[in-house]
Amino acid sequence: MELEEMKNTWGELSKRVEKQEIRTNQLIEKITQKNYNSKMNIIGYSEFIGTIICYLGASYILMNFTKIDEVLIQVFAGISVALLFILPVISLKSVRAMKNISISSNTYLEIINLFGRQKIRFQKLQKLNVALGLFFMLIILPVLAAIQGKSLDQIPNFWTLIFPIFVLFFLVFSWWVLKSYNKVLSATKKMLSDINN
Amino acid sequence: MDTKSRFTKIIKENEGLIYKVTTLYTNSVQDRKDLYQEIVYQLWKSFDSFNEQAKLSTWMYRVALNTAIFNLKQTKRRIQTTSIDFRTEQPSEEIDKTEEERINLLYEHIQMLNLLEKGIILLYLEGKSHEEIASIVGISISNVGTKISRIREKIKSQIIKKK
Repeated sequence: MELEEMKNTWGELSKRVEKQEIRTNQLIEKITQKNYNSKMNIIGYSEFIGTIICYLGASYILMNFTKIDEVLIQVFAGISVALLFILPVISLKSVRAMKNISISSNTYLEIINLFGRQKIRFQKLQKLNVALGLFFMLIILPVLAAIQGKSLDQIPNFWTLIFPIFVLFFLVFSWWVLKSYNKVLSATKKMLSDINN
Repeated sequence: MDTKSRFTKIIKENEGLIYKVTTLYTNSVQDRKDLYQEIVYQLWKSFDSFNEQAKLSTWMYRVALNTAIFNLKQTKRRIQTTSIDFRTEQPSEEIDKTEEERINLLYEHIQMLNLLEKGIILLYLEGKSHEEIASIVGISISNVGTKISRIREKIKSQIIKKK
């Protein structure tokens, strides 16, 4: 199909589109009355709820910090609190950067480049989040046990079976996640280089 | 005429433009509807800042195409090459099989292009001048010509590969 032929077919398509019944009036009514939820905003809501949950978790650990006697577990608790504060901030910053981009004043090429760069940054951030999240899951166990006044030694097979399985799961899952993110990252990088060449 | 009425009039007159952008950047009826709504919403949001001196279609294409990029799903590295099924929206007796095949083939060719080329070809097929394509896309006028030639070559090689 040559470009001229494509143009003719596009013309036929345009005629078809004119016949389509699109309920634009209803949509405009909804949008102008501000009861329309943009999909781009919905992404922000889930990040916001996640942040609140993380902060509640961090507050719980801080409030019960004095119940932890062992120094090592105290260090784990400190790291857990830091992670619960830092991870959502990183995610929110990334969402905010995405929202601040002006759709109407940037050109198409600028938007593709911005989208690609944001996507790369987002993927890298997700990789970091997954790795730190799994690390968090690993260190929060003894912290929660200490807060409940239990010793991990009291849990049968904890060090001989449960902990090694957890570490193995952590390593395998991290490897799998990082591998899949790397694929997406290289595909996005390729898209950007194709476009800018 | 108040802002809302002016906006409604402009959107009604350009429904086809928005619809065509949504068909190129989505591959399901639901995604198309979602993108259509998002584009109208983004147009409404930027309507106050729209300078009447600027060309209306330039502003509309820019917002529509840019919104389509941001609406691309994170998990999709590229849009699949499935064509749009108009049968769900058109009475069956109106469908001309040959025309249908041609439209599907057209979509197939366009979906093989990268995002930048896809935007350029859409504007080219809409009959936009090289100057207007350049201002929407953000490349030089001479580069528009070069890109269109490359697209022509790319489509030709696609056809040869298929044969």
